Amino acid sequence: MYQSPVSSLPVSLEGWVASGKDSVYDRTNLYDYLDGGAELYLSFGFRTLVNRTYSRLGQPDIVVDVFDMGGSKDAFGAFSLSRETVAREFGQGSQCTEGSVLFWKDRYFVSILASPQSPEANAVVLTFARLIDESIETESPPPEILGLLPPDSLDERSIRYFRHPAWLDAYYFLADENILHIGDTTEAVIARYGSQGERLVLLLVLYAKDGDARRAYEDFKRYYLPELSQNAVVRVEDGTWSGCKVEGRLLAAVFDAADNGRASALLQSVFDRYRANGRRS
Amino acid sequence: MTQRIITRRQFLKTSASATIAGALLLDSRGSVFGFGEGDARSRVVLVRDENALDDLGGAREAVIQDMLDRAVTALTGKSDALAAWRTLVGPKDVVGIKSNAWGYLPTPEAVEKAIELRVIEAGVAEENIAITDQEARTHPTFKRATALINTRPLRTHAWSGVGSLIKNYIMFVERPSAYHGDSCADLATIWKLPHVAGKTRLNVLVMLTPLFHGVGPHHFSSEFVWGYRGLLVGFDPVAVDATGVRILVAKRREHFGEDRPLNPPAKHIQLADTRHHLGSADPEKIELITLGWREGILI
Repeated sequence: MYQSPVSSLPVSLEGWVASGKDSVYDRTNLYDYLDGGAELYLSFGFRTLVNRTYSRLGQPDIVVDVFDMGGSKDAFGAFSLSRETVAREFGQGSQCTEGSVLFWKDRYFVSILASPQSPEANAVVLTFARLIDESIETESPPPEILGLLPPDSLDERSIRYFRHPAWLDAYYFLADENILHIGDTTEAVIARYGSQGERLVLLLVLYAKDGDARRAYEDFKRYYLPELSQNAVVRVEDGTWSGCKVEGRLLAAVFDAADNGRASALLQSVFDRYRANGRRS
Repeated sequence: MTQRIITRRQFLKTSASATIAGALLLDSRGSVFGFGEGDARSRVVLVRDENALDDLGGAREAVIQDMLDRAVTALTGKSDALAAWRTLVGPKDVVGIKSNAWGYLPTPEAVEKAIELRVIEAGVAEENIAITDQEARTHPTFKRATALINTRPLRTHAWSGVGSLIKNYIMFVERPSAYHGDSCADLATIWKLPHVAGKTRLNVLVMLTPLFHGVGPHHFSSEFVWGYRGLLVGFDPVAVDATGVRILVAKRREHFGEDRPLNPPAKHIQLADTRHHLGSADPEKIELITLGWREGILI
């Protein structure tokens, strides 16, 4: 019998009462609950969602959703795609807005939402978050590829981890085809460095095999940056600098750099970290 | 990958002027698309009224009716609202008003009522009018509809970039998830299905309280809704959607204090223009008329 952290919650709290049985969804029927929103979770290793709704007369419903993402990498990934702040009020990373808490811990991604929000509902949302957090007794590491991001001037809020090409489109549109071959067997992370006006973007993709990385690099060069034949970093049409390197299973690309030196140094730093880690990630 | 691939660099080559890709893909002001059909510009009317919402954020019916009347009159170029509506529908029509029932931000009843009232006044029998979202494909009145009026609020969307007028027709297909591939890229094809094609007489994009950013599985937080108090009205759904996206993007820039592109980009609006030729997303090909309240107009 599947035990979700939702089962740790009380049936009633501060006048809110759980309405009916918990709803359980898997990969085959997540659309029934999140039509249009299901793809995000399906694009990771989503396994099971347990949903419970609490109601109280004269107050907004509180909707509790606990996603079992199959592993901590994908739990972090699902969380990272809507992260705006770096905080850890709950779980291993959290984001709190009015009437809403999102957090990830171990293999779970948790969402608790009151809408429209009210002061009473907001307090209960926080209590539910704390109870679920406490019920998940273990922590698991985030994706190791994050360790390849050089920390200097990294905007941590901007880190996005994904395994589906749609999310590259979302955060840095490169082309209307999947020229980097991002898919189920790859891990990708994109992040911003610097501040507005001096910002640059770093993309790392880790492939299953060296040959996969090399083929992706060749397509990237063919369709996006043919000048790479001469240099690892080149100036593009808007005056900024872009670059790309591949080594082992890792492809790293930098975009929007104000100068060649900054782009080159960032790429160098990535591969220094990769080599120091025994070309593993 | 043998077909022509559109890349970011093509946009960068012409980065000086505002256009489709700027708002929809890159959130920059670059231009590469300009091959919409013909030279005619699509007229879009933005009407705003600072009294459109009550203290609780609900839509005020009388104000909404007045806003819609002004917009439709300006759109059609007629002298008054009734004359304007009579150019859209008439006594022989069966009218389906395609609404949107998303729980956190549905089409306000005040907008549905305002449309329905004018459709009746234009001569359509009440029994020949239906309003629905989920039953658009199966509703008896929609099945025999000769005319459709499309209305929904604009919001960001976790997969398609925005919940748009174009996307609002997804309930006309049996299996909506079949259109979810590639960030809902080809939603415009739904508009060419036999039971939909050529029937849309008016598009009303509700901009009273748009959602400009989403978080979590429900992609909603009241923190990211604001009282814009507007309606965007037009015949060309692509032009209306593209104009709405420009406002959303401007709001995101204002709120976050930096460029913050839509995540994901609203690819389906761009492709509705460039791949499916449903309408024009290029601001250069849109005639935007603004009416009413101007504070915080963002466009």
